[in-house]
Amino acid sequence: MNNKPALSPEDIRVGKVPLEGSGIEIRKTICDICNPQSHCGIDAYVKDGVVIKVAGTKENLHSAGTLCSKGAASRQYIYNEDRVRTPLMRRGKRGSDDFEPISWDRALEIISSRLIKIKSETGPESVLFYAGYPKWMRPLLKRMAHSFGSPNYMSESSVCSIAQKLGQRLTYGVASGAQPPKAKCLMVWSKNPFYSNTAVARKLTKVIEKGVKIIEVGPLTSHLSKHAHIHLRIRPGTSGALALGLANVIINEGLYDRDFVEKWTEGFDAYRAYVMEFPPSKASEITGVPVDLIEKAARLYATSKPAGLMTGSNPTVHHTNGITNHRLLTALIGLTGNFDIPGGNYVKFPGYLYASNGLVTRQSEFSQSRPWDEMAPRVSQDTFPVWCKMEPEAQAMHIPFQIQSGKPYPIRAMVAFGLNYRMWPGSDFMQKSLKMLDFLVDVELFMTDSAKLADIILPACSSFERSELKFYSSPYVIWTQPVIEPLWESRPDNEIIVDLARRIAPDDSLLGSGHEACIDWMLEPTGLTLAELKKYPGGYPLKDVPQPPYKKYEDGGFKTPSGKMEFTSRILEEFGMDPLPRYVEPKLSPISTPEIYKDYPLILTTGARLPMFVHSRTFRIPWLKGLRPDPMVDINPKDAKERGLSLGDPVSLFTPRGAIQVKANPTELVPPGVVNMFHAYPEADVNTLIEPDYLDPISGFPGFKALLCQVKKLSK
Amino acid sequence: MKQLAFSFDVNRCTGCMACVVSCLDQNDLPGGAVSFRHVTKLEQGTFPSAKISFMSLSCQHCGDAPCLMVCPTGAISKRDEDGVVVVDRNLCVGCYSCVLACPFGAPQFEYGTMTKCDFCHARIDSGMVPACVSVCPTHALGFGPIEELTKATKEKASVTILSSLLTAGSR
Repeated sequence: MNNKPALSPEDIRVGKVPLEGSGIEIRKTICDICNPQSHCGIDAYVKDGVVIKVAGTKENLHSAGTLCSKGAASRQYIYNEDRVRTPLMRRGKRGSDDFEPISWDRALEIISSRLIKIKSETGPESVLFYAGYPKWMRPLLKRMAHSFGSPNYMSESSVCSIAQKLGQRLTYGVASGAQPPKAKCLMVWSKNPFYSNTAVARKLTKVIEKGVKIIEVGPLTSHLSKHAHIHLRIRPGTSGALALGLANVIINEGLYDRDFVEKWTEGFDAYRAYVMEFPPSKASEITGVPVDLIEKAARLYATSKPAGLMTGSNPTVHHTNGITNHRLLTALIGLTGNFDIPGGNYVKFPGYLYASNGLVTRQSEFSQSRPWDEMAPRVSQDTFPVWCKMEPEAQAMHIPFQIQSGKPYPIRAMVAFGLNYRMWPGSDFMQKSLKMLDFLVDVELFMTDSAKLADIILPACSSFERSELKFYSSPYVIWTQPVIEPLWESRPDNEIIVDLARRIAPDDSLLGSGHEACIDWMLEPTGLTLAELKKYPGGYPLKDVPQPPYKKYEDGGFKTPSGKMEFTSRILEEFGMDPLPRYVEPKLSPISTPEIYKDYPLILTTGARLPMFVHSRTFRIPWLKGLRPDPMVDINPKDAKERGLSLGDPVSLFTPRGAIQVKANPTELVPPGVVNMFHAYPEADVNTLIEPDYLDPISGFPGFKALLCQVKKLSK
Repeated sequence: MKQLAFSFDVNRCTGCMACVVSCLDQNDLPGGAVSFRHVTKLEQGTFPSAKISFMSLSCQHCGDAPCLMVCPTGAISKRDEDGVVVVDRNLCVGCYSCVLACPFGAPQFEYGTMTKCDFCHARIDSGMVPACVSVCPTHALGFGPIEELTKATKEKASVTILSSLLTAGSR
């Protein structure tokens, strides 16, 4: 660089070069647009108190200086014109978008007096506390709910990652995850980290280039597909049948781990007998995957030890048969002896907010400020009892049903953070239900359609404007510090909770002592303190944190009722359900509902990631919206041709429940017979096409990934 | 003369478009049509053997840049020190000749004059990395002097050929 000419002031200004004298300071924060498994480190280039550019933080061990398109668009997110600027009170009719600005004091006074009145009239359980995105306020919000006396804390995780963990926990007592770098074979079951997690994308790139054998399972083509040794393109919703076919080959060819199965499992005989009903030919018939590929994949996975099984956070459980499917496919981990071994599926300690790095916090103890038996039954307690036994929150999918029925008790108010009613199947039903509430508060960054239904809207800060504790699954922790002042009158969610808690749960002295005191309390067992973390604005690399050993079940057994891996679940039996994971078809499918299939001959799968969007959160960002301006339905070129469709043609996408108008996108991303539609578009909300009760009976998760539809060309 | 170039690994590109957006952020561009970098998709074959690949493309900073040759006002030039093709928008008259000449669609028009990727030359001059390269999650995009990039490609190809020869020989 010695022979470079000196940069002119104009070059420095235009090039945004953070040299001395440029007035640009690099400040460290994180992007929290997507999920806590990612949250890339951000170098915010700040000039005169304004962010003028973002880059990735190199020293962040997770993202290592990289960003995705969403994080790179952070400036249009934080400075978006739709940001809520002041607390707002509804003036007009509910949903009319007619609000007046009010002060924070007045807003909090109205909220607390309304909530306390409702509590005195119909009990604290009549008030719901809901956490959408981002997720950072969840421990404090759950605590506030329980300290107020309500059992009804619930979250967006009711459709996100909980069910896949629940499916594993029924079998193993805990959830496990693949360790890509150490595996000799990686079976990636409906996951596309290239569009959801920069760190996993990089890890998988290394795995690919190392020549690790990859088996991809899933109907859609992804970046991984061209690198996969085998791609099993199942019909959506048939994971369980494929898993049974794989198990059939593995057992019949003697490729399973006899020692592990004999010593550490329960229910194998019943499982094996059932597996024998699924020879590869039958699995092929159901899934559409050729017999030879099923056999090849089974042998490859079972004979390459260690082998990892990697699933997405939800595609395998966004089905009306999701838990059963997920139990069947994750049973392969134990069957092949890959549970909790190096390079297999490893069990980590829970860390903080969904990320584990070896440190153990007191998040659960903190959040559960009142035991369940001192509160009313939760929303969904009767409908999804297994969920309520195993998860420390209510299943939010049941909200609209209880609002409408008032049974077993009325739901009258909701305090929500980042609410999006379009997350619910039959989203119009949820919207209608929210309108029936006596009182709705939404804390939001943006003036969303859901916020417009509220009585009070409170403006939240973005991650750039506040401090939060962030654990990474890499050995790395950060207490972020604001890189800019809160914009307009916005405030950090956690400070809003503390202020509200002081009014509605005054007996909770810990919550009342402030956000930082709460975090320090949760951090106590780790030996870390915020005072220490504050010295490292770019993040704190953890050194010598002991990781849990492998084969933890050898010391005290599995955390299941039997102490073993349960092929047949005692918990399900206790609730009168079939303990054996018996494959059933999706509630709507060519096989289960041939009479509907006749008129709706395409399988509709929804919600797969696009690189520039994460749910509805980035639609309003011009840089990202510009990359895919229109809602489009992905349809195989063969199906498109049959319907006379070319790229961009207007089409109606419809089910027996409703229709949306979108554009055609003929693509080999989807196999013939399947169409894929991104969710949450205000102008074309695919969830209006799905019945509100199209849910898995065990987890309550919606069957977003498999139903029936038709696509018809519209005149331009 | 040194010639800087971008490198691109089609096997690593996932079509995530972080490069596109990071460039918009770096250059305060509106996006949509006016974007210095574009990612395009190519689909090959049909089910069940279809493959989908992506290409991220911006100004190539050509050695023999056709845009420069056709520019009637001399607004386009190549930097001596690194071969980066830059445009002086004060000299541009908005005649679109460069658009006609460029085979890559690199020149963009904003406020009537041409603008395009300048290789983040101010960042490079300060020892930093172009915005698009810095964010790429799978390191599909890279940059460097062209001789070094081709040397790296040669070595990678040699290793691939060598290992397949050895595998073939062992059969």
